[in-house]
Amino acid sequence: MSRGSEVLIDKRLFNLPGMRRYVIILGILVFLQAIAIIVQARYLSIAIVNLWNLMPIGSIILPTSIFTVAFLCRHLLTVWQNRVLFPFVEKTSGDMRESLMAKIFRLGPAEIDKRGTGNIVTMALEGIDQVQTYLMLVIIKMLDMSITPWLILIYILFIRWEQALFLFIIFPVIILFMVILGLAAQSKADRQYEGYQHLSNHFVDTLRGLSTLKQLGLSKRYANNVYSVSESYRTETMSTLRIALTSTFALDFFTTLSIAVVAVFLGFDLLDGKVMLLPALTILVLAPEYFLPIRNFANDYHATLNGKNAMSAVLDVLHQPEMKQRDELPDFKWNQDSMLTLDHVNFTYPETTQPALKNISVTIKGMQKIGIIGASGSGKSTLINLIGGFLSPDKPDQVAIDGHKLPHLDQAAWQKNFLYIPQNPYLFHATLADNISFYVDNASKQSIEDAAQRAGLTEWIKRLPAGLDTMIGEGARTVSGGQAQRIALARAFLDTDRKVLLFDEPTAHLDIETEAALKKDILPVFSDHLVFFATHRLHWIGEMDYVLVMDHGKLVEQGTPAELAQKNGDYVKLRSEMEASDL
Amino acid sequence: MKGLRETFAHDTWVMPYLRKYKGLLILVLFLGFMTFFSGGALMFNSGYLISEAARQPSSIIYIYVPVVLARAFGIARPTFRYIERLTSHNWVLKIVSDFRKKLYQTVERKASAIQRSHQTGDILSILADDIDHIENLYLRTVFPMVIGWLLYLFIVIGVGSLNWVVGLLMLLLLGIIVIVLPLASVATNGVREYRQHQIQHEFYTNLTDEVLGLGDWLISGRYDDFINLQKKPIKQIAQLRKKDHYFQWWRSFFVQFVVLLTTITLLIWAANSFTATKSLANWVAAFALAIFPAVSPFLNMSQGLSEWPVYRRSIERVNQLDRDQPAKVDQNQLEGHFKELKIANVTFKYPDGDRNIVNDISMTIHPGEKVALLGPSGTGKSTFLKLLVGDLIPNDGQILANGKDVSSLQKVRSSLFGILDQQPYLFDTTVMNNVRLGNTNATDDEIKDAIAAVGLKDLIESLPDQYNTEVQETGKRFSGGERQRLSLARILLQDAPIIILDEPTVSLDPITEKKLLDQVFDLLHNKTIIWVTHHLAGIAHVDQVRFLENGHFDMQGTPQELYQQEPRFRQLYDLDRGK
Ligand SMILES: Nc1ncnc2c1ncn2[C@@H]1O[C@H](COP(=O)(O)OP(=O)(O)O)[C@@H](O)[C@H]1O
Ligand SMILES: Nc1ncnc2c1ncn2[C@@H]1O[C@H](COP(=O)(O)OP(=O)(O)O)[C@@H](O)[C@H]1O
Ligand SMILES: [Mg+2]
Ligand SMILES: [Mg+2]
Repeated sequence: MSRGSEVLIDKRLFNLPGMRRYVIILGILVFLQAIAIIVQARYLSIAIVNLWNLMPIGSIILPTSIFTVAFLCRHLLTVWQNRVLFPFVEKTSGDMRESLMAKIFRLGPAEIDKRGTGNIVTMALEGIDQVQTYLMLVIIKMLDMSITPWLILIYILFIRWEQALFLFIIFPVIILFMVILGLAAQSKADRQYEGYQHLSNHFVDTLRGLSTLKQLGLSKRYANNVYSVSESYRTETMSTLRIALTSTFALDFFTTLSIAVVAVFLGFDLLDGKVMLLPALTILVLAPEYFLPIRNFANDYHATLNGKNAMSAVLDVLHQPEMKQRDELPDFKWNQDSMLTLDHVNFTYPETTQPALKNISVTIKGMQKIGIIGASGSGKSTLINLIGGFLSPDKPDQVAIDGHKLPHLDQAAWQKNFLYIPQNPYLFHATLADNISFYVDNASKQSIEDAAQRAGLTEWIKRLPAGLDTMIGEGARTVSGGQAQRIALARAFLDTDRKVLLFDEPTAHLDIETEAALKKDILPVFSDHLVFFATHRLHWIGEMDYVLVMDHGKLVEQGTPAELAQKNGDYVKLRSEMEASDL
Repeated sequence: MKGLRETFAHDTWVMPYLRKYKGLLILVLFLGFMTFFSGGALMFNSGYLISEAARQPSSIIYIYVPVVLARAFGIARPTFRYIERLTSHNWVLKIVSDFRKKLYQTVERKASAIQRSHQTGDILSILADDIDHIENLYLRTVFPMVIGWLLYLFIVIGVGSLNWVVGLLMLLLLGIIVIVLPLASVATNGVREYRQHQIQHEFYTNLTDEVLGLGDWLISGRYDDFINLQKKPIKQIAQLRKKDHYFQWWRSFFVQFVVLLTTITLLIWAANSFTATKSLANWVAAFALAIFPAVSPFLNMSQGLSEWPVYRRSIERVNQLDRDQPAKVDQNQLEGHFKELKIANVTFKYPDGDRNIVNDISMTIHPGEKVALLGPSGTGKSTFLKLLVGDLIPNDGQILANGKDVSSLQKVRSSLFGILDQQPYLFDTTVMNNVRLGNTNATDDEIKDAIAAVGLKDLIESLPDQYNTEVQETGKRFSGGERQRLSLARILLQDAPIIILDEPTVSLDPITEKKLLDQVFDLLHNKTIIWVTHHLAGIAHVDQVRFLENGHFDMQGTPQELYQQEPRFRQLYDLDRGK
C-alpha cells in the first residue's frame, strides 16, 4: 500500500491546518458507518433466513426494520462525513486560492511569465477545483479503506475464521498484482509518453499552421494526414490502454472471483453441515462490502491522481522563494540630485550558464535621457528589467540609490518612482479613463482629460461611442499599437509624482507614420524626467543625453551621442550596420 | 426535451457517427450490459447456491450447476468489463479521428492564407477541447445511460414476468432513479451550469487580465486592490460549488433510499410468494442478494446526465461551424506562364464592417515587378492581399491573373503565389520536413540547396541532428530571423511566379531585418514581388511604392521619385534612417 499512498498522497497534506482534528472526527464517523454496514448485513440475512425457514411475514418485520434503520444510518453517515469535511475543504481550498493570488503578486511578472500566464490562471481556477475534489475524495476514502475492511474482517473472524483467513490473505495478493501490473503499464506509458504528446499536439499544431498550409497549397491534402495521424494515435493509445487497464482488471478479477470462491466454499461447508445458513449468508453479504472501499478507491484513481498533481503544483508555487527585503529603501522622491549606481553588476537567468549582463557599471544622476542600444539579444530588456526590480542581480550590494546599497531594486519605495512602458503596454479590461488613471488614486475627470489631450488621444476619444468611459482591453474594443502607447503615455502625463520612465522598445512594432506622429507627443514627457529608453530605431538617439551601447551582455561603450560619434567604436559600427542607404 | 431536439435538429457531429459505427456501438452496449448482468447474476446464483446447500441435499449434484456458474460469473464479470472498456475507448478514438478530419476540413474551407496580425490560437484550442468534450459525452453519458436503461428494462421485464404487480412497482421505483432523477438533475444543473459558466468566465478573464498586467499592478503598489478584485468571484464560485455538492450528496442519499424501498418491496414479495415450499424459498436469498449489484450502474446515471449542458455547448459550437460556408466557384487552370495580374476597379467591404476597405482600386502588375505597399496599420493592406490571392471575393470589380478570375484559380494557387508573412509557421517536426512542405516532390539535395541559399547551411549542419533537428513547438528552437529564413527556403522550393510578403520583418531587429530583405530580393530577383511593409527599411529594393489610405492609393512612384517630390515621404525616410 505504501507505494499507492505515495503516489496519491502529497505529504504536505498532513500539514494543512486543522487536518488532524478532522481526521479523528471522520475516523469516528467511518467507524460508525462500518458498524452500520455490519448490522445491515446481519439483519438482512436474518430476514432472508426466516423466509427460507418458511416463517410467516411477521417474522421479518423486526429484522427488516433494523436493516432499514442501519441502511439509512449508513447512507446518512456518508452525507454527514461529507458535510463535516466540506467546510474544512472549502476553507483550505479558498485560502489556497487567495494565497495563490497573493503569491502571484509577490512573485512578479518575470516568474509568472516563465510559468506561462495560461498555466497560472488555469491553476487558480481549475487547479484549485481539482484540489477541492481531491481533498473531498482522498481523506474519506483513505479512512474508509483503513477502517471498514478490517472491522468487517474481525466480525467475520468471529463467525468463521476460515473465510476470514481467506479474505485476509487475498487482500495483499490483489494489491500486489495491481502494483505489478500498474508498474508495467506505467513504464510502458512512460516510454510512449513523448510520442504521445507529439501525436496529441499534432492536431492543434496543424490547425495553427493552417494559414501556412494554405499558402503552400497543401491544406486540402493535409486532411488525410490529420486522419492518419489521429488513427496512429488511436493504435498507440489502445496498446497502452490494454496494459493500463489490466491493473483494474486484476482488481476486478480477484475481488469478484473471491466472492465466487467464498460462495462455493460456503456451499460445500453447508453441505457438510459445518456451518449454518445464517452465518454463511452474513459472510456472503459482507464479502462485497469488504472489497468495496478498495474498489471505490481504484475507481476514483484518476480524479485523485489529477487532484494530487494539481495540489502539488499549487503548493510548489506557494513555496516558491520570492524576493525579500523589499523595504530596504526609505521613502524618497527622485529629483535633480538623486543618484542610481550599478557597480559591476552581473545577472544570470536561472537555468542558464552564461550571465546575460556582465560587469555593468554606470552611474546616473538627476533628470537625464539615457538611450540603451544594441543588437537584439544584447541585453537591453534585461538591463531595463533589472533597473525596474523585476530581476535581481547575482550578488547583493551591487546596486545603490542615493548611496543606499541594496540587494536588488525590487524596492517598494523605488517602484513608486517609475513607470514602465514596454513594446505592448498592457491595457486592462476597464474603461479608458480607468486605464489612464491606473496609477493615480482619485484622479479628477479634468486631469484625465488633460493627460489624454497631451498624449494626443483627444481626436480618437471623440470618435469613441462613450468617450473616456468606453470599455477597452481584452474582449472589448480593440486598440491599435499606437493608441496603446498613447494610453501608456497619458498615464505618465497624469502621474506627475513618478519622475523615472523606463521604455523598452516602445515603437519597434509600429509603422513609420504612426511612430513619427507618436514621437511628437512623447518628446514633451521627457523633460523633467529621468528616462531610460531601449530602442533599435536610430532616430531616437538624437533625443538622448547619454547612450549606453550593449553587446552580448556587456556595456561596451557609454557617453553622449557626440562623444560616441567621435570615438569611432562600437556605437559607430552599430549605427552603420543599422542604417539604410541613401536614395 | 425541446433543447435536445434543437441541439440535434441540424446536427452533423454526433448522430452520423452513431450510425457509422453501429456495429461496434452495439457491441459496446452489449458488453456493458453483460458486465452488470454477470455481477448481479453472480450474487443471485450465490444466494441460491448457499440456500440450496443449506438444505443439505443428499448429493453434491444438486449444487453442481450453481457452483460452476458461480465461477463462470466470477470470471465473466471482470472479463466483460475489461473488454467493454477497451472496445468503448477504441470506438471513441475512432470517432475522434473522424472528428478531427471533419473539423480540420471545416476550418480549412474558411481559413485564409493571409493571417490577421496577432491572431491567437485560442479559438482553435476551444474547438480542439470541444472534440474532447464530445468524446466524453459518449464515455460518460451516452454509454452509461443506455446500458443503465437496458438493465432497467431487463429487471422490470424479468420481475414483471413472474409477477406483474411487482414488475410495475419496479418500473416505478427504479424509474425514479434512472429517468426522473437524471432529468431533474439536468433541469437544476442547466440553470446552475449557466450561472457557473458565467462566473467562471468572469473570474477567468479578470484573472488573466490581472496576471497579464501584473507588472503594472506591481509598480502601482496597489496590492489591496489586486487582492480585492478577485474576492467576489472567488466567493461566488465557492458558493456554487457548495450548492452543487449538497445537491449531489442528498441526491445520492435519495437514490439509496429508493434502493431501500426496492429491497423491502422484494422482501415482502418474497415473503408472500416464495414461502410456500422449501425449493421456492431458496430463491429468496437469490433475489435479495442480486439487488445491490444490479442497481449499481444506476447510481451514477444522474451525474452522467447532468454534465449534458457542457456537452451541449460544444455540440452546438461545432455544428455552428458548418453554417455559412463559402460558396463554391468552378475551378480553372492557369495556362502558360504568368503574364499579368490585373486589378480592375476592385471595391471591398467586410460584411460587418462600416467602410469600404478597398475602394475602386485598379492596377496592373507585370512579371518581374517589385511593388511595395505602405500604410498605417488597419488601413487594409492585408485585406488587399487577401483579395489578390482569392481568399476574399471583391464586392465589385475583378482580379484577373492572365485574364482569369483568381477565385477560379484556387486549385492551382500555390503554383501562382508564394506567401511569406509575419509569423510563418514551422510545424513541430524536423527542419527537413518543414522545408519540404514547399514542394513535396523535392529531393533531399534540392532541400539542402534551398537551405544553403538562405544562408542557414552552416548553422543547420553544426547542429547534432543536422537536417533532422526537431524545430519544436511553433519552431521555438530557432530565432525569429532564422524562422523567416527557413520559410523563405520553403518559398524557394515552391517556385511560384508571384511572391507576396506581408510585413515579414515586423518582429525583427534592424540588422536582422536588413539581412533578410537583402536576401529576399536577391534570391527572388526574377520574381514578381508584392511587399507590404510597415516602414521604409530596404525600400530601395523596389521599383514602385504605393501608400494605401482610406481605400485608395495615396502616393505612388519609384522610391527615388517620391523622395525627391514628396516632402512627407522624405521626412519618413529620413526618420527611418535615424536622421
Ligand atoms: N527569461 C530568460 N531566460 C533565459 N535567458 C533569457 C531570458 N530572457 C532573455 N534571455 C537571454 O538573455 C539575453 C539578453 O536578452 P534581452 O535582454 O531580451 O535582449 P534585448 O532586449 O537586447 O533584445 C539573450 O541572449 C536572451 O536569449
Ligand atoms: N474578418 C474581418 N471582419 C471584419 N473586419 C475586419 C476583418 N479583418 C480585418 N478587418 C478590419 O479591416 C481593417 C483592415 O484590416 P487589415 O487589412 O488587417 O489592415 P492592415 O493589414 O493594413 O493592418 C481593420 O479595420 C480591421 O479591423
Ligand atoms: Mg528586448
Ligand atoms: Mg496586416
